[in-house]
Order: sequence, then C-alpha cells, then structure tokens
Amino acid sequence: MIVGVQKPVAEIISTVAPYKKLLILGCGTCVKTCFAGGEDEAAVLGSALRLAFKKDGREIEVEELTIERQCEDEFIRESAAAVARNDAVLSLACGAGVQDIARRFPGRPVLPGVNTSFIGVLEKQGLFTEECLGCGNCELATFGGVCPITRCSKKLLNGPCGGSRDGKCEVSSDTDCAWQLIIDRLKTLGQMDNLRTYIPPKNWQPSNAGGPRKLIREDHII
Amino acid sequence: MNMESSSRLQQVLSKGGFAVTAECGPPRGADAQVVRKKAELLKGCVHAVNVTDNQTAIVRMSSISASVLLLQMGLEPVMQMVVRDRNRIALQSDIMGAYALGIRNMLCLSGDHQTFGSQPDAMNVFDIDSMNLIHTVRTMRDEGKDMSGFELNEPPRMFIGAAANPFADPFEYRVIRLAKKIDAGADFIQTQCVYNMDRFREWMRLAREEGLTEKVYILAGVTPMKSAAMARFMAKKVAGMDIPAPVIKRMAGVPKKKAADEGVKICLETIAELREIEGVRGVHIMAIEWEEKVGEIVEAAGLKLET
Amino acid sequence: METSFKPKITLFHCINTFGKGASLPLDEDHFEMRTVKMPCSGMVKDIFLLKAFESGSDAVIVMVCPEGACRHAEGNLRAKKRVEWVRNLLDEIGLGRRRLSIFNISSQDESTAVQIIRQTLSDLADLGPNPAA
Repeated sequence: MIVGVQKPVAEIISTVAPYKKLLILGCGTCVKTCFAGGEDEAAVLGSALRLAFKKDGREIEVEELTIERQCEDEFIRESAAAVARNDAVLSLACGAGVQDIARRFPGRPVLPGVNTSFIGVLEKQGLFTEECLGCGNCELATFGGVCPITRCSKKLLNGPCGGSRDGKCEVSSDTDCAWQLIIDRLKTLGQMDNLRTYIPPKNWQPSNAGGPRKLIREDHII
Repeated sequence: MNMESSSRLQQVLSKGGFAVTAECGPPRGADAQVVRKKAELLKGCVHAVNVTDNQTAIVRMSSISASVLLLQMGLEPVMQMVVRDRNRIALQSDIMGAYALGIRNMLCLSGDHQTFGSQPDAMNVFDIDSMNLIHTVRTMRDEGKDMSGFELNEPPRMFIGAAANPFADPFEYRVIRLAKKIDAGADFIQTQCVYNMDRFREWMRLAREEGLTEKVYILAGVTPMKSAAMARFMAKKVAGMDIPAPVIKRMAGVPKKKAADEGVKICLETIAELREIEGVRGVHIMAIEWEEKVGEIVEAAGLKLET
Repeated sequence: METSFKPKITLFHCINTFGKGASLPLDEDHFEMRTVKMPCSGMVKDIFLLKAFESGSDAVIVMVCPEGACRHAEGNLRAKKRVEWVRNLLDEIGLGRRRLSIFNISSQDESTAVQIIRQTLSDLADLGPNPAA
C-alpha cells in the first residue's frame, strides 16, 4: 500500500488557521491501513483541532467525512456537498488523493494533512517498510524478489558496495543491506549465477525521471 | 589489458615492479596552494597519487581539478570518480575532459552515501553503479564509443582501477564481485586498508584460486594510525573497516606520545607481510591528513622509487 | 483541596477493576465525576479520551488491571500505549499531558482508587480548568 504519516499537529494547526469552516476528508484505503488518514484518524484530528482552537479562544467548525478513496471520481463525488459547505478541505489522503480532490473542487483550497512516503508493506504489526519505487521496469526476477533499486541505498545493480556490514547498510544499522538479502535469497533458490552476470545500466526512461507518467488503456475507452 | 595507455602506473606494473601509490584529499575551498603543498610532500615518493572525489560526501574541490594541479607539479594522478553525484552524461563528459587534460588513471567507485556528509539534504544520483562505470570507461577506451554507441573523435585511454573490500560482508561473495569487476574492465584494484591480515590472506587465496591475480594488478591498502582514538573511531564509524582488537590494544598500549610511532610501526610490519603475499603487486598508502609520513614510510619499507 | 472551580473528571475503567454497582466513598460536592465502564481497558480508544475533554472534562483518568493480570491478556498494555499517544497529542495541542493519566489497580481496591482521584483533584488545583472547555 501507499504509506504515509500524518503531519505534526502543530503544522496542521498553522495550515488551517485562516479558515472558519474546515472539512477533514479522510480516505478509507491506503492511509487507513497505515493509520495516517482513515476514519478513526480523521475523528481524532477533528477533536484535537477543536480543542486546540478553543483553548486559544479561536473559532473553527470542523466537519469530518471519510470516503472510500480519494483517487477516483466515483467516490469523490460523494463529498461534493460537504466540500461546498466548508471553506477549505484538509485531505488526509496520499498526495495523489489530495490532488484529485483539488482537481475536482478547484474553488476550494485543498490542503495536505499527510506526508506521503512510500509504496510498502506491513512487515509485522506496527512496522511498514518501503519496497517499491515504481521504476516502471521491474527486474525482481533477477534478484530473487528483493528490489535493489528501492532497497539498496545506492540503487546498485551489481552490488553490494564496500559498506555492507553484518547484513546492514552503511547508512544505518537499522537498515538491512538489500544485497545481503538478495544473496541469501538467491542462495536459497539456487540462483547465485544470476549475480555472476554483468547487469548493464538501468534505463530510467520508464521511471518518473522520464517525466510524469500516464497509463492509457484504450481497451477501456469507448 | 589494453597497453595503449601512457600511464606511468601501468608501465611500472606491466614491467613487474611493485607499485606504490598514495592519496591526496582536495581541500574544502578553492585554494590551489593546499593541493600543491601536499603534492610537494609526495613528489618522488610514489608512482601515483589518488585524488579523492568528495570523499565521505563532504564537498571539496573536484578531483578532476585537483588531479590537474598534481599533473602541473609533475605527479601522476589517479582520478577517483564516484557515481553518487553525477549521472552517465556528466560522468562520460568528465572522463573525456580528464583525458584531454592529461589524466591517465582513474578509479571507479560507488561513493559513500550522502547522509554522512556535509550535504545530507542533497538528492543523490546513482544513475549507474561503479561496475557500469568500469564497463563504460573500458568501452570508451577499447571501442572508442560512448554509452550511446556514438564513435568518439578520440578515445580516452585510461588505466582503469576499481576498489575492493576484502573486509566487507558477505565475505564469500567478495571474490565473485572482484571477478565481475575484472570482466567489466578493471586493470588494477586498490583494496580497503589491511589490518586483519588473516582475512586478507584468505581473500587473496580465493582470488588466486579463481585466477584473478593473473588478470588484474592488486594493490593492498594500508593506513598508518596516529592514535588509539583514531583506531577506535575507524573500527566503529568507518564503513567497511576491519580492525581486530589486538591491533587497537597495541595502539592503546603505548603512551600517547608514542602512539603515532607505533602506528607507523604497525604500517611497516603490514607492508612487509603484504610484499610476501603472492598476487599483491603494490601497496596503496592512505595517510589521511598525514601526507608527510608517506615519504618516511616508503623509505623505511625499502620501497624507494628508482628514478 | 481547594479550587476556584468545580472540577470535572471522567474516569474510564474496566469492569474488573470495580465490580458492578461499586461506588467510591467520595464527597461529590466539590467535584463532578463521570465513570465510563468498559469490558476491557483495551477498549479505550483515542477518540473517547479526546471526546471527554471536548465535553468539558478537566482531567481524565484511566484505571486498568495490573500488568500480567488482564483477563484479555494484553488489553491493559494496549491501553497504556494509547494513553501515552494521546498524552503526547495533548502536549502538542497545548492542553498538557498532565490532564490524562493511567493507573494499574487491583480488582476492588477502592482505597487506592480514592487516593488516585484525590491526587488528580490536587493536580487540578495547579492546572486549572480545561482551557478548551
């Protein structure tokens, strides 16, 4: 899923300060699963904002609404009335959702309440880890299902570097060396020969480096 | 190895000599005099001098320019190039420029991660890795073509070096990686500094078994330690460094005033042992911010250059 | 304890800390207390604690079973984590963590419960009323 972290409350407070009527718009998909912006988080944030403003003797009306996803018009439509009756929207969706809301409701300031971080997995309860950066040209088959582009701090295709120590990356002892993981996995699979072959430079054109991307499915368009 | 380079380092090695190289870190500023002063200390002591490329991701005068300053002083630079800060366009461009300016040796490296350096906020590049860089220089030199297949008006005939770290993990893969670098085009290797002789001997043994010592010149790295504190710092904080406890104990076991001498002593003992290892074709002395010791070490080790 | 206002306290507790119908021997002329009974303290959600403050509580107390004695295994551990999270939030919004507290209390230990409430009232004499009430 897409993993994000709710912005610090102090930052949100100063972002929404100019508005008298605020809609906190939660999202029921990715940000719900990483506890950043689902219905529960929207409720807690609403309560926190009301308390924070009231304590300073300021007025703010906070409405909370959560829709299934903020990246599809089918669900976004459901929030139209709520958006219309508020001065601004604090979206707790990922960056894509914030932008889609802003696109559909250009007349309202749409502010982000979450710092979108990465595409990742829930490795175990309470631990989300980054796994994919969307390079557009997946080579996981070569690397035994461990991505060196995302999980090696230096994106090495012919790794490891000289900084790998006890299975950890030189950047942090909390970070696994992806190349240690690759080697261990390929050993288990009996595919260590994959690493004897020289891997040429990556073609970055299919990635965001080639420009913002589009996916068009002609077969879905009539 | 293609012999068309006018690299003095290559000549020494190809004639069977034991090569001695040292290192020069450019300054954090635009003062050429700093480089010239270091060059003076190293002149005549060593066959070639590595010029580091924003080492430990700290912004310094560029390695290509400091290399040119060394050339002007009559020294032979080994220009280090990391893939952390430049993409394939800039790297190829600098390789051609370096050759045009008279640089004949280069060392291809990944580079320390920028989170350690003076600009941790920077975006890193890592467009290609160090293996790709080796391959690229070799292709430019031997086929006269750049990465896009374009025929260059003049190939950069570089003597190509790569780094190897016998002390990093995973150990069993390190020799496979060495083989890969040689296949990609490495002519010579400089290793991380040796303190753990047992591990280094084992790595050399595996390298010989794979026939790699016949295909590449291996120069073993050494670094004289100035103090017990430096030994402990390197052991703990420097990535890929292996300093066995007895070595640290030895440094700590002498009075502080004598520590530097002990460090040099250990360095000389290491060099003596390295010379006896089959396949070691030279030594790379990394006397960080202690360049004045290089001459003394070279002389005491009996490695004085024939002029 | 003397306060210039009549403090309002909300007490969340699990049913195992007090039996049904237990009432605490306290003089309720000087303060108001609302109790919220839960099947397990693990049911204490962030939003309940915040809503207690929104509805005018000056302080919120959570009473949970001693560690290792939770009938539902980890409910009290989860409550501890949730309470700590909300205490941090209270600091960030300027209400202050001291207004929310959590205590382990053995089943039916009324005298400790009373002590805790008295201590909270004393703290409120310092802290004053909820500025967001």
